[in-house]
Amino acid sequence: MEHSVSYLGLIPLFPLIGAVVLGVMHIDTCTRRKLPEKLYGVLACIGPVISFIYALVVFFQLKSMPADSRFLIHDAFTWFSVGDLHITMGFLADPLSSLMLLFVTFIGSLIHIYSVGYMAGDENFGKFFSYMNLFLGSMLILVLGSGPVVMFVGWEGVGLCSYLLISFYSKDTDNVLAGNKAFIVNRIGDLGFVLGMAFLFWAIGSGGFDYLSLRENAHQLAPGIGLTICLLLFVGACGKSAQIPLFVWLPDAMAGPTPVSALIHAATMVTAGVYMVARFSFIYAEVPLAGSIVAWTGILTALLAAIFAMFQRDIKKILAYSTVSQLGYMFAGVGVAAYSAGIFHVFTHAFFKALLFLGAGAVIYALHHEQDIWKMGGLKEKMPKTYWTMLIGALALAGCPPFAGFFSKDEILFSALATGHTGIWIIGVTVAGMTAYYSFRMIFLVFHGTPRNKESFNHAEDAPGVMTIPLIILAVGALFAGFLNLPALFGGNLNVSHWLAPSLADHHPHVGISVELLAVAASVIAFAIGITVSYRKFGQGADEPEYSGFTEFCYNKFYIDELYHAVLVRPYKAVGSVIWKFFEPNVTDIHVKIATWLYQKAGTAFKVFQVGYVRVYAIYMVIGLSIMSLLLSQSLN
Amino acid sequence: MIQDYLILSIILFCIGILGVVSRRNVLIIFMSIELMLNAANLAFIAFSRLHLSMDGHVLAMMVMAVAAAEAALALAVVILLHKHKGKLDSNVFSLLKG
Repeated sequence: MEHSVSYLGLIPLFPLIGAVVLGVMHIDTCTRRKLPEKLYGVLACIGPVISFIYALVVFFQLKSMPADSRFLIHDAFTWFSVGDLHITMGFLADPLSSLMLLFVTFIGSLIHIYSVGYMAGDENFGKFFSYMNLFLGSMLILVLGSGPVVMFVGWEGVGLCSYLLISFYSKDTDNVLAGNKAFIVNRIGDLGFVLGMAFLFWAIGSGGFDYLSLRENAHQLAPGIGLTICLLLFVGACGKSAQIPLFVWLPDAMAGPTPVSALIHAATMVTAGVYMVARFSFIYAEVPLAGSIVAWTGILTALLAAIFAMFQRDIKKILAYSTVSQLGYMFAGVGVAAYSAGIFHVFTHAFFKALLFLGAGAVIYALHHEQDIWKMGGLKEKMPKTYWTMLIGALALAGCPPFAGFFSKDEILFSALATGHTGIWIIGVTVAGMTAYYSFRMIFLVFHGTPRNKESFNHAEDAPGVMTIPLIILAVGALFAGFLNLPALFGGNLNVSHWLAPSLADHHPHVGISVELLAVAASVIAFAIGITVSYRKFGQGADEPEYSGFTEFCYNKFYIDELYHAVLVRPYKAVGSVIWKFFEPNVTDIHVKIATWLYQKAGTAFKVFQVGYVRVYAIYMVIGLSIMSLLLSQSLN
Repeated sequence: MIQDYLILSIILFCIGILGVVSRRNVLIIFMSIELMLNAANLAFIAFSRLHLSMDGHVLAMMVMAVAAAEAALALAVVILLHKHKGKLDSNVFSLLKG
């Protein structure tokens, strides 16, 4: 078969092998002398780079095929086969997964290189890269899986790595708790995903449980079942991609090392939910109601997270909330059936958010683990490379034309407007203004004005080349990635959307140029207002304001964490302790207790026969033999 | 005719049992066991004669061989027991008491 290639399975394999090798090396050297960090660094970067090269090969091979039959498959082996359910460990590369593949491996490689600098001197250097490689391997399985089950393997793998890396600095209890929180919240989402898969199999799975077969059978779905499946899958996406109500774990996930926040909690893993919805676009396209729910959840998350981001003081938390907010945009995009716009925003967001996180990492590195923006300031002259690259990232995030974020965000907002979701569009434009405000609040407070902490300011300097070069490459991406999908209004022809079209069930409404112009103008005006307000307040240096009333409410994130704690966590713990103290000892354990009690009593009763004298045992034997002989002689007669 | 031999064998066997059960000296217990083995031998030989077959002789020879081997081991055990406690009273050795 011309679509069958044997190297697809190798793409996730390289980082996985790297993870095993690095892990074994780390465990082996824990007790003996340390190996040089360079060896670990080189080994760690090999896997991702080879995967990236393969990703390019896949891309060009797909490009050489006719547009309507662009896919490559590789069925490595039959995993299991039960009744109608035949699961192959298969990999599928189509335009959608090849795009994801390209930027995941590209940004993954860059962040591995950056981490060699950032993590230098850490005692668990090898462990860190082992986890990072494991993450990349799992992410590639997620992206390349040929069916929902294989995707779920990667899905759980990235969740595990996320947990391991959030609690990487495990000496601090807070970090471990943050890891736990992420893991538990993700489990709630995963339950939705598993149930959704089960429903999907029950409804249309008998004709084959991979995307290509499911796609062919999607029209058989009854609307009610379709809606249930969509919503259950969306619960899974909410968990992984931090949407309302499961977004609370992502800001806490910033407890991990900064490259982890960049790679996992901004650029790749958290976008898995969007990827999943786009993957199942053939089902979502059948059920418009599900799409609307997705879009509204997304845009409300975007609004809420943007409000929180405006008041945060921890540089990583600002970026975390902005990630949640941008993920909300992506869901708004896929919700209004503009799947390619959502995926394109995933693509550009990966560049500029990774850039911003790595830049923030460079700042934190230079200031010796200071993360409070109210203790920074004036770093522009000390760290010019970091400043300029982060400025590009912030402009892209804020949606300034012609940076990457502008085109992708505008495409989403335009699609919302064109499909008649005016409410979503209005909120989206408002959030765009807020995004400009909070991203430049961060830039102004960190890099402009006068230094607030003289001592750490004097020691600050640009990070070494191994860290700044990835920043510069990402900055170039953040600057130009938007041009890949230039809309017709600006003389482009939506290359990325056309590339993605065969994989997605995109819905392109036909509207006049005036609507398009309106969308663009609104975005630009929102950006301008946001940045102006931000400059007025923080541009010339500012002192930390006192929060009171509504702003205090926002500063404390609407007390949502406290609310969840009071409404969910504490009752759950109370129920748990009742079960532990009453139900378990008195109900479930009672059978075991009775059995052991009986054995004890029986043992005590029989103990009297064990006198310990040999001759008494001989008497027992004689008695026993006599009885046996008697019985035997009777039976013979 | 055969009954006489068997009765003698039973008497010898019962004496052996009584010895094992009632005596406390380890050496006497051991001798009583030997007596029981030889009672069994006598029964074998008697039946062998009755049926005019050599099977009983074979078994009797084997029992003797086993008894000889057992004697070697048992005497070694007796010596060790004596070394351990300085006594040959079987009631002293009651570690299995429940």
